[in-house]
Amino acid sequence: MKTSILLLVLSAAALSAAEGPYYVTYSAQMEEPGNLELAFDQVAGNPFLSSIMELEYGVKTWWTTEFYLDGQATRGEGALFTGWRIENRIRPWMGEHRINPVLYVEFEDINGADKSLKEIVGHDVADDQLVSNSVARQDHQREVETKLILSSNVRGWDISTNLIGEKNLAAEPWEFGYAFGASRPLAFAATPNPCTFCRENFSVGAEVFGGLGTWGQFGVAGTSHYVAPILAWQLPSGAQLMVSPAFGLNGNSHALLVRFTVSYEMEQIGRLFRRRS
Amino acid sequence: MKAALLLCALLASGNPYEGKPDAVRAGAKLYARHCAQCHGRTAEGHGRAPSLRTAAVQAAPPEDLFHTVTNGVMRRGMPSWAHLPAERRWQIVTYLRSLK
Repeated sequence: MKTSILLLVLSAAALSAAEGPYYVTYSAQMEEPGNLELAFDQVAGNPFLSSIMELEYGVKTWWTTEFYLDGQATRGEGALFTGWRIENRIRPWMGEHRINPVLYVEFEDINGADKSLKEIVGHDVADDQLVSNSVARQDHQREVETKLILSSNVRGWDISTNLIGEKNLAAEPWEFGYAFGASRPLAFAATPNPCTFCRENFSVGAEVFGGLGTWGQFGVAGTSHYVAPILAWQLPSGAQLMVSPAFGLNGNSHALLVRFTVSYEMEQIGRLFRRRS
Repeated sequence: MKAALLLCALLASGNPYEGKPDAVRAGAKLYARHCAQCHGRTAEGHGRAPSLRTAAVQAAPPEDLFHTVTNGVMRRGMPSWAHLPAERRWQIVTYLRSLK
């Protein structure tokens, strides 16, 4: 039974990846209902390599849920599992508007050695990643993260802004952050023939993200910020590859982070499971 | 006012790809990638996703089809495809109208 379900899943046809071509920023684009996207994110910094596995499922047209497993390897310190996250995105307005809001809520159970850098909040700085794993992993963090996602589609461009508020459930203040992204496909119209390297399969863009301090110390003092050009390539097989160097904008930031994502979307997984049950 | 005039001009001009064979083929490719999973490979419909070969769909003005592709019918399970550039949404409409 399990084997047949697995075969059904693996034989499902693939589609284009659902999310916009960003690593940190979210757009209003939701996962299509019943589809499951599997993604692996890598972030390479000095001296670590962080890895995330994402499972994103479209529950409804207006509701997407996602589960993450985080881990990292640090030079000279080995590799470790750093925690998990679960998020939900709700699109409250049906249809398309000039600005499309999405509400985002995430619960994360991670330790201080987590280096996924999926968002920068509060006074997160590059030096946080220099604490040894053996010490950092003792710091257990249960956090709730909220985002207001505001996204527009303008003449083929996606323009998205995320306002982030994160609260450690221990007695710590709210931390704030932001992300802004803009992207577009290299060609707006599709070509008549199947193709792999044609411009319509590539998207380019950039994102800017960083911290905005805490409830008691709001502002950019002591925070880190990044700007990151992005190149995404949609393969005909349904996989999407994305590469993005992120450049630190001040002394609190890493000078360079290299981010790489491969994702693959499987269509109508929900329908297959409903059939089986 | 300017925006309204622009919209009127756009609606008056209709589908910029109407009757162009290359757009039909491009639309078929986009349909297979984005729409076939729900509406079926030949647009015959599947479950809650209706057939797109019905007389009602085929008789609908291209602007109405474009509006539906853009906004989706989110309460009934069809997502918005506004993240696709307008050119690609028109190519999908062109393909759908070729199914007559």
